[in-house]
Amino acid sequence: MGISDVIPVPVAIDDEIEKWTIFGQPVAEVWFTTTEKIHQIIEMGPIKNIFNWGRKNSVYFLMQPMGCCGVEMFVFGAAPYDSDRFGCIPRNTPRQTDVMIMSGYITRKYLPVFKNLWEEMPEPKWCIAIGECAISGGPFYDSYNIIQNTADYFPIDVFIPGCPPRPEQFLEGLINLQEKIKQRKDKRDY
Amino acid sequence: MDIIDSISQFAIQEPALFALIIGIIGAAVISGVVNVGAMLVIWGERKVLSDFCNRFGPNRVGGRWGILQLGADAIKLFTKEDIIPGDADKGVYVWAPIVASMATMLVAAAIPFGALHIGGKDYPLVVANMDISAFYVEAALSLMAIAVFMAGYSSNNKYSILGAFRGIARMIAYEVPMGVCVIAVAVMAHSLNLVEIVQSQTLWYAFAQPLGFAIFVIALITDLGRIPFDQSEAEEEIISGYNTEYSGIRWGLLYFQEYNNALLGSILLSLLFLGGWQGPIIPIPVLDIISPLIWLFMKVVIVLWCLIWVRASLFRLRIDQVTDLGWKWMLPLSLLNLGWAVVVGSYFA
Amino acid sequence: MTNASEVLSSIQSAFPGAVLDSRVESDRRLWATIDSKKILDVCKHLTNKLNFDHYSGSAGVDWIARNEMEVVEIMASHGAHKVVAMLKVKTPRENPSVKSLTGLYWNANWYEREIWEMFGINFEGHPELYPLLLSDQLIGSWPWRKDFKGYPDLTTGERAVAITTPEGYTEYRFPPTPAEVEAGTVVAERPKYPTFREREEREIKSDSEMIMHLGPQHAMVPGPFLLDVLVEGERVKKGFLDVGYIHKGIEKIMENRTWLQGIVYTDRMCYVASLSNNECYCGAVEKILGLEVPERAQYIRVILEELSRIQSHLIGTGEFLTLVAGVGYAPWQYMIIDRERIISLIESVTGARLTHTFVRFGGVRNDLPDDFAEKCKTTLPYIKSRVNEFIELFAQDAIYQKRMENVGVLSAEDAKRVGIAGPALRASGVAYDMRVEDPILVYPDLDFKVIVGTKGDCADRVDCRLREILESIHIIEQCLDRIPAGPIKPEAKIPKKVPAGEAYYRVEDPRGEMGMYVISDGGDKPYRVKVRGPFYATLQTLPPLLEGVYIADVVAIAGSMDGCPSEADR
Ligand code: SF4
Repeated sequence: MGISDVIPVPVAIDDEIEKWTIFGQPVAEVWFTTTEKIHQIIEMGPIKNIFNWGRKNSVYFLMQPMGCCGVEMFVFGAAPYDSDRFGCIPRNTPRQTDVMIMSGYITRKYLPVFKNLWEEMPEPKWCIAIGECAISGGPFYDSYNIIQNTADYFPIDVFIPGCPPRPEQFLEGLINLQEKIKQRKDKRDY
Repeated sequence: MDIIDSISQFAIQEPALFALIIGIIGAAVISGVVNVGAMLVIWGERKVLSDFCNRFGPNRVGGRWGILQLGADAIKLFTKEDIIPGDADKGVYVWAPIVASMATMLVAAAIPFGALHIGGKDYPLVVANMDISAFYVEAALSLMAIAVFMAGYSSNNKYSILGAFRGIARMIAYEVPMGVCVIAVAVMAHSLNLVEIVQSQTLWYAFAQPLGFAIFVIALITDLGRIPFDQSEAEEEIISGYNTEYSGIRWGLLYFQEYNNALLGSILLSLLFLGGWQGPIIPIPVLDIISPLIWLFMKVVIVLWCLIWVRASLFRLRIDQVTDLGWKWMLPLSLLNLGWAVVVGSYFA
Repeated sequence: MTNASEVLSSIQSAFPGAVLDSRVESDRRLWATIDSKKILDVCKHLTNKLNFDHYSGSAGVDWIARNEMEVVEIMASHGAHKVVAMLKVKTPRENPSVKSLTGLYWNANWYEREIWEMFGINFEGHPELYPLLLSDQLIGSWPWRKDFKGYPDLTTGERAVAITTPEGYTEYRFPPTPAEVEAGTVVAERPKYPTFREREEREIKSDSEMIMHLGPQHAMVPGPFLLDVLVEGERVKKGFLDVGYIHKGIEKIMENRTWLQGIVYTDRMCYVASLSNNECYCGAVEKILGLEVPERAQYIRVILEELSRIQSHLIGTGEFLTLVAGVGYAPWQYMIIDRERIISLIESVTGARLTHTFVRFGGVRNDLPDDFAEKCKTTLPYIKSRVNEFIELFAQDAIYQKRMENVGVLSAEDAKRVGIAGPALRASGVAYDMRVEDPILVYPDLDFKVIVGTKGDCADRVDCRLREILESIHIIEQCLDRIPAGPIKPEAKIPKKVPAGEAYYRVEDPRGEMGMYVISDGGDKPYRVKVRGPFYATLQTLPPLLEGVYIADVVAIAGSMDGCPSEADR
């Protein structure tokens, strides 16, 4: 990792920077140790709470209708249930989203795609499994093409049962997720 | 009065240093004002658009109006992981959001944000009062298109590159009529200085040259990349257009600049065509000093509201229709408008 | 008017000895087993001489006890007459092979590919027998055959493995585990076929072209399917489709559930129109059972199906609007809000928002609540006025007209040829509606128009859909006036076991012609259920429509088809 990975300087001068020193230490090393320290301080204290307050109140979800539950997701983001009230709006590109809503069955053919989408999302990210299918395969538990053990592939924070759950349940799940983020009890410890 | 005396003495003794200091203070104030303004614009758009759509919009953080929603968004974006795609052109990728914010700051430097009415005279609030500010502002506004192209081109993503090309095609098609409209205004005002243009508007130019006003509004919406001209990031076609690969604060910056531009664009529209800060002075102490500010603010709010209204009620055009409209209709009509401005302007002069 | 026995005698006289076995079920249904050598000629004869211009699908059946397989071709006509001919072709179970109909009917392509990958029946003369629905690891294990051992296959514990491709990307694959290979769930040696990606990349001819993926996750797709377009600049040169991302194997699952449990799965096929799916399945089973539905139950079914059509059209149009106008566009939100009212009406009867499982064999689950008629009388006029407003709004919107007119035009001949269904077909001016063609329930007594368009472009399709809502409201109002009192279920108990037999039943789904072919072998489970879904047919026609349009139009065209990929994949 070079300096150019973290601050906007041309890659070309990376090598040059390697040679610089400050207080007898290489600049790059000082940079990284200080940022490490800063991270530690953030981890400890109230700053993290402020961060999590921000994260909790602005969870954008990936518009990704997969099954029947996807229709309810559509309605959940639209006027009647208005997820925007909670600062939760749909985005189309995984790069700009924070929560992946698993809204239906995951098939063997779709899992690779789905996993890619998940990896494309920047940290911190959360995953909500909606409906029986996403939790355990649901009515299709014995199909030859459905993945049952979704929790093995994704760190799911909130499970919302139902087939399909009502949009109100979506909201409840969202609020639960926000609570989890606030209390720092989510799967990946943000 | 001692302080003012000494300041004026300092200004006379060290003019260059004084200008520098004023410039720095002005820049700080302006960037603060513009950025806070843009935040309010984003928040306003979310609320007003929600209203159009028959829903509430953010109302959980910061009271029932959701004022703090943007604070939460900003904190989240700042603390997101910073992803630069492996195959991206890294330097360009990183600089694109910065260029975008530079572009808006360049605009902000030359735009008068209103005036103070002291002792029967208007003192415009502008950092750099240049002679060609109208033209400069219009040119600087289009710098955003370069940032868009940088972002789209460097991302190494098919959606992004299409968005970038669309952005450039659109910018080229509409920058010309927009410039011609500004010239038409300048012809009538006999000046390219925004302050003088405002001061010369006894009759609003929106009424003096309605055609020019219409063309300028359309070209402005295009420049801001808003529906019906948001092809460069048409979410439903090319995911998110030029900023598909951007995440975290880099995306936040790009997103933010769009609204910065919307704010500055509507100020420019009010200045050029809607009489700027001109309006009856409110005969109440203190309020009379800032009454030009109040007038300009009201005009800008109305313009912004109309922009959101347009977004809530119009369909998106196709890119070929956009360029078609630009070259085949906007450009000839804007030239026609220029002719009109020359004739009428010289008649009244 | 032609009827089934005339069709049969015409075939018999033209090809003596070709019909091995036949059954004239009614005026409208003909079942015939055709000599596999003559099937092409018979089909040609039907199409050219007897106006059977609608190839509406085919089904494979594995008769393991008789050691043979069957392909059933379903032929109908676009309005010339009302006969549906079910032509069966038999083939031995070892190296099964039949003649392909792709030369005669363009849309036979996908149906045959599906039968091939599910049953392993080879189609002689098929241009591209590539996998359609299945992921590549299942190819070769022929999951819909009766001796497929993967059922029940509890996939718990199985893990996909990350594999780094030569280009440096990570992909997830399920390698067959030794246990699976032993059990025969997944075959170790799979036939090698070029992947979708490889086939597609062959098409790139110059540097200025690129392939853009619209899907499987994209704002455009209403559920995961992959629409790839080969573009040069903004122009689309060719479209490719890959489906099966949410293939659940419903048809196979239903074979392993009791008759009643099967209704649950029809709900999940097309979740915005689950009532018509229920109806289709139950109707087919009723036909085998020979059940009469009490009149009140018939009316209740019609009312609910029409309500479900209204909400489906509203959400379909709403999604379409987000695609062409962006999510900030206000009217689509109004549509969703209006749809909530219809949903709450349906919910007050069935108790569920989407998946109702409401229609039962010979009746419905429960009666209408007391205040249902009143609620309808307040809601429906409101919806009517709103829909009228929407129609007017789009008719006046200059940008909308400019964007939609003459985009994605499907002429009447083309529409018939490609086997498209529903409002998308009717927009082209073909008045083909199952409620008229194959009247079920009380539809023959009701007064309604079949809405047709003129040009068959995107604007027409949306307009048709909106005007159909008005017709549906009209139907419901009539039903509410006429609905008699009485029982809602048949008096006799429905037997657990359904007598051996087969039936093909068609209903008008919001997306068009939906047919179910149900076979019973006398057991407590269906022997085979074949679903002829409307969106499957529509989806297939998408790529040819896209040639030469702009990228923005791709979205408009796909959106105007009102998709439901879940039903296409099943
Ligand atoms: S949980 Fe039920 S409603 Fe949701 S996707 Fe699965 S089957 Fe459909």
